[in-house]
Formats: sequence, C-alpha cells, structure tokens
Amino acid sequence: MTLSRSAGRLAKLTVVLCLALSMLGFAIPAASASKGHGWLRLAHLSPNTPALDVYLYSFGDPHARIVLKHVSYGMVSPYERVPAGEYTVAMRAMSATATSKPVLSATVNVASGRAYTVAGMGPVSGLQLQVLRDRLTAPRGKALVRVIQASMHQTAVTVSAAMTVLGRKLKFTAVTRYQAVKPGDLLVRAVGESEHGSERFKLAANTIYTFVIMDDSGHLKVAGLEDSAGSKVMPSGGAQMGFGGTAPRPGAPLLPWLGAAAAGLLAAAGGTIRLRHRRRPALHAR
Amino acid sequence: MRGDLTTPSGRHISPIRVVRRPVAAVVLACGLLAAGAGVAGLAAASQSGRPAVPLGRAKLVPVPLGRQAPAPQPFRRKVARPTRLIIPSIGVRTKLIRLGLTSSGALQPPATTAVAGWYTGSPRPGATGAAVIGGHIDSQQGPGIFFRLRVLHRGSRVYVRRANGTLAVFKVTAVRSYLKTRFPTEAVYGPAPGAQLRLITCGGTFDYGTGHYLSNVVVFATLVPRGAR
Repeated sequence: MTLSRSAGRLAKLTVVLCLALSMLGFAIPAASASKGHGWLRLAHLSPNTPALDVYLYSFGDPHARIVLKHVSYGMVSPYERVPAGEYTVAMRAMSATATSKPVLSATVNVASGRAYTVAGMGPVSGLQLQVLRDRLTAPRGKALVRVIQASMHQTAVTVSAAMTVLGRKLKFTAVTRYQAVKPGDLLVRAVGESEHGSERFKLAANTIYTFVIMDDSGHLKVAGLEDSAGSKVMPSGGAQMGFGGTAPRPGAPLLPWLGAAAAGLLAAAGGTIRLRHRRRPALHAR
Repeated sequence: MRGDLTTPSGRHISPIRVVRRPVAAVVLACGLLAAGAGVAGLAAASQSGRPAVPLGRAKLVPVPLGRQAPAPQPFRRKVARPTRLIIPSIGVRTKLIRLGLTSSGALQPPATTAVAGWYTGSPRPGATGAAVIGGHIDSQQGPGIFFRLRVLHRGSRVYVRRANGTLAVFKVTAVRSYLKTRFPTEAVYGPAPGAQLRLITCGGTFDYGTGHYLSNVVVFATLVPRGAR
C-alpha cells in the first residue's frame, strides 16, 4: 500500500468515526472515545502440557501487569479489565524466573469494549497461544453458546445441546461460532470415537457461555464457562427514580404582575399630570 | 350663578372643570394602588420559584470492614445475595430491597425514597455480569438515597454487603447521564464480562408537567477482587 493511499484510508476512517460519534450524541463523553477499556482472560487448554506461569505485559512495559502462577490444564482466569492497546502474553515453565526466556508468547491487540480469551492450545510439542474474540451481545431473550474442543484423546467430537448440534466432528483445538439457544436447563453431550461425557447446565437468557471439552480419565469432561451475563429480563428504557423534591422550580409567571405595576404607574403618572395641570390654572385661564 | 365656583383670586371655573380634579385624584390613587399591588405581586411571584437543592455535606459513613469477595469464578458458582449498599464518599448506607419490573416492563423503583434496591433479574453483585441497583434521587420533599450519586467519579469505591457477610468491592469506571428517550438498554442491562455494577437514579431536568425527570444517571463500576488494589 502506498503512503498516500493509506493516508486516504485514514482520512476516510476519521470521517466515518466522527460521523458515528456525532450520531451517538452527547451520551458518550469524548474521553471514552479516545481510549476505552477491553477485557482479557487467560486459559490453559493443552492436556499434556505441564502447569505453567502466565504473564501479561502491557506493550513496552517490562513489568508484568498480571502473573498467574501454576496454571494447569483446564484453568481459566477471571476476566481482567485492561486499557485498550497492545499486550503480550508470555508462558514460562513453572517457577521459572520472570526474566527467563518464555516458552511461548503472543501479542494481543485489545480493542475498546471488546473481550478476548487467550488460550494455550495444542499438544505440548506444538503449543500455541490462540486469541479468541468473545462475544458481548446476545440476541434478546436467548443464551449464546460456543464450544472449544480441548480433548487430545478424541480427534472428532460431536457436541450437542438438547436437539441442537453445537459442533460436529470437532478436531482438537477447534473453536465453534456462537449459537443462540433457548435458556433453561440444558444437557450438553460430547461424543468422541471412544469416549463421551455430558453435563447439565442451567442457562440464563441474555448470557453468553463457552463449553470446553476436556480429557478426563477415561471420559470427556464438559466444563461450562460463563463469559458474560446480563439481566434475564432486560428492563425497557429508563427508570422513574425521582419526584422532583430537589429540582429547581420555576416561579409563578411575572408578566401579569409586571403589567399591573406598569399600568398602575402609567395611571398614577396620568393622574399626577392632570392634577398638576389643574394646579396651574394661570396657564389656561382666559 | 348657582353651581359656579370662584377661585380665591376671583377667577371663574366651570363645574365640569371642577369635577376633573377628583377624577384625576382618584386615577392617581388607583394607579398607585395598582402599581403597589403589581410590585408586591412581582415580589411574591419571584419568591415562589426555588433553586435546586444544594448538594450540601454528605453524612459521614465509614468504609465497611469484611472479607472481600474474590473475582467471579469462570465456572459458575453461586454468590450470596446482596443485603446492603455502602458508598462512603457520598454518605450512602442502606439496606437493599428487591426490585422487579413495572407492568410496562421498566425497572421498578423502590417503594420508598430512603432505600435502594437490587433488580432480582440481574446477576448478583460479585457474580459474572452487570448487577443492577436502583434508588431515588429525591422524594417530593427533599433528597432521596441517591441524591449525590451524580458526584461519584472514576475510582470511587462502592461496597455491597452480602448475606454471608462478605463484601463485594467495586470501583467506579464511569458516570453517565442519558435522556430517558435515548436510554442505552444494552450497555446498562446487557451481557457484561467480569463482575460489574450499575447504579441507576434520575437526573437532568424535572418535568413538572409529567412529574418525572427527563434523564437517568447511570454509574458503571467493576469489581475489585480480593488481593487487587
């Protein structure tokens, strides 16, 4: 791409951004538009990789923002709220010094208002950090679900929830798209070539889940992660939370009184002139 | 001549002209009266308005003590139900009642203006998602529990005591005001990662025609888990 073309794109982007912002109106102050926050969580989903120490660095800062010690297969951190920007996730052998060369590292670009799961996936020989983008909106009244296939024993796992197939013949490290399902009690079944497993979940509306299929001794384990949750029934619009007892109150209209005063003064002035007029009869006497 | 008057200087004045003087006097008197009434009315009318009640000093509320709640578990685990709300920086210390929805589907306001309430359809404070707590800015007489909510700022701490005695500690990330006609339902009540909190009250202009405020003030906060600053 030439410089002028990229400059043109930048200008276009700026125009679009400005338009979008002006359409949003005053509801969003400028401060949050310039730099917001995103969400990040870290996971270890590699069955034959021993426990690791996981470090999160803000780009250009040698001091780790988060250090998670002894993270083993199946562990997922809570979400961390971080300023939008570039981050580096580094994995080191358990109890290795913070300055040692990491086993694995990856860069994540966190955009404002978005959420990410950074997961160590694959076999230990080919361990990779995958950056998954987590959805933050669900269709109104529905639960949103996706599947991460983190079982190494089974190479083709079909995952279903009630009558819905969430993923068919999922390979190790496969991640499905989110699907909307009806909230309520749900039996999630994972069936591989020789092993299977199931787990019952109570799904809430307007809530987003990730099911992780994991190796367990002799069977598959279905773990349910709660990614994001909203109100089960979303209240409509604003709320009436005040009666005006502290609000400024406009006074009674002043105009009628102003009119009365003006008319009165005018009449009084007229009367005075008349009286003074009579008190100087000499002017008019003939 | 009968009916005719003579001035002291001996000048002759007709009866019609004589009548004019009392009329002028009466006009003058009435004018002065009307002007006086007008000025008095003006003074009274200008006093009948009222400026906004000043924020004043918040009641002194100490920072509560207790075991701080951890970050929500990624694998869902139930947290205890919220019982009290404490916001030391604006003098709020109240029990939390339970709120539902009105018949029109809006967030139900608490029955009294002296307490706040947790919307039972939202996640519990400290669990994954956006917990919703509402309270009145004022009654018809004066300040309500959330009168000073709008002066919270980024970094202010909000404490929710839970039934098992633990404290969910939140830090304010934003304080926004929205016209009720343009309320961002998804941002306030929609899915949210991590444990978050929304405090809702009224604000903006009060419409004396409808008896409602035109805006809502929403405070966005996120959990400070045990061990974090």
